[in-house]
Amino acid sequence: MLNGVSKTDEIEPNQTLCDYLHDLAGTTSVKKGCDTGECGACTVLLDDMPVTSCLVLAPQIDGRDVVTAEGLGKKSAPHPIQREFVEQDAVQCGYCIPGMIVTLSWIFEHAPGASDAEIRRLMSGNLCRCTGYLQQVEALKSARKRT
Amino acid sequence: MKSFQYLAPIPSFEYVAPRSLTELFAAFESHGKEFQIMAGGTDLMIALKERIATPKVVVDLGRLRKELGGISVEGGVLRIGALATFSQIESSAFVEKYAGALRQSAANVGTLQIRSIATLGGNLATASPAADSAPPLIALRAAVTLLSGSGQRTLPVQAIFTGPKRNGLRPGEIISSVEIPADVGVRSAWTRAAVRNENALSVVSVAVASTIQDGRFGPSRVALGAVAPTPILAEKASVAMTGSPATREQADKVAAFAAEDSRPISDIRATAHYRKHLVRVLTRRLILQILSEANAP
Repeated sequence: MLNGVSKTDEIEPNQTLCDYLHDLAGTTSVKKGCDTGECGACTVLLDDMPVTSCLVLAPQIDGRDVVTAEGLGKKSAPHPIQREFVEQDAVQCGYCIPGMIVTLSWIFEHAPGASDAEIRRLMSGNLCRCTGYLQQVEALKSARKRT
Repeated sequence: MKSFQYLAPIPSFEYVAPRSLTELFAAFESHGKEFQIMAGGTDLMIALKERIATPKVVVDLGRLRKELGGISVEGGVLRIGALATFSQIESSAFVEKYAGALRQSAANVGTLQIRSIATLGGNLATASPAADSAPPLIALRAAVTLLSGSGQRTLPVQAIFTGPKRNGLRPGEIISSVEIPADVGVRSAWTRAAVRNENALSVVSVAVASTIQDGRFGPSRVALGAVAPTPILAEKASVAMTGSPATREQADKVAAFAAEDSRPISDIRATAHYRKHLVRVLTRRLILQILSEANAP
């Protein structure tokens, strides 16, 4: 399942999930940054856990559930985190943003009581090279307040 | 620049994902020595991209989560399946209750994204001297169950580490689970020094497990990571702690022995001299932590 829709594709074993999602499946929110599991730009949910899709082989997802930033919400009905990223101007160049949104949506759903320090620990796998992390943390906290 | 080589695709290989242990061992049999086992894949994917591993066949254990996963307590033993992820270990109430040091180290592995897929069995099989899970498992007297087509055997966790990135598995053998004595009386703690808090290899890591009764330490173990070719049991420190008075002064003595037990090298992360200093400081810190928790109401 990709973003809630069942999908069948022939894939090469040596293809990463990141490349498959971006180049073949059309979910271009998935960005390739470091390609070594350090930067988090390619973060997606695999069976509802955030993973760096560059460290997953495409065939490993056979029969499993993948959600990208596209699957979290639509322009007309954004995920609370997506909405707050806009509200809080939590974006500069944008490259790290889909991965950030996936990770923060997971923290929003699964760690509602996480302290500021814990939020920062959980999002330490998403690097931003433009500006920083303040607005993203604010976006999460603001999303919590509004729900 | 090193990163450019990542733009080239990983050389092709055959991918096999057995759906039962029978299928798994049959796959090992039919592929001779040409296969590479994949657990979570966080180490293997890097090795594939860097061409450190160039297997003809990758055998993915991912469809065997039912057989090789899970965390349970039965008959006084905490059993952690080899495919349990560090996220699962970090959030397990059983691990928190019986293996506090392991929970602490699991929460520090890589990043959230890494912990979601990296497995305990994979961490052991990679056999890095800095393996995050090793010092807690050594301190907690963990045993590792290995499975092959012809049977199973159990080894103390230290025996898995035979050298830097060398494991004691025989060809065709996999790690199926890790067993830790489930004793609520055992207090354990883990800490480490690294260049930064998150997603960094440990410069030194230390775990201590002990019991405290009537003002004395019971059977105690101090284990060290990243200060020898493999993670080690600090033998002199463990002996010095066992049966000794549970005091701050004794913490100093045990910590000094731990530093003596370590055999670090100098590398890009730290000098050998500094590592020995860290072993002493971190060991002392952990023992004081265990003392203060034991004295807490």
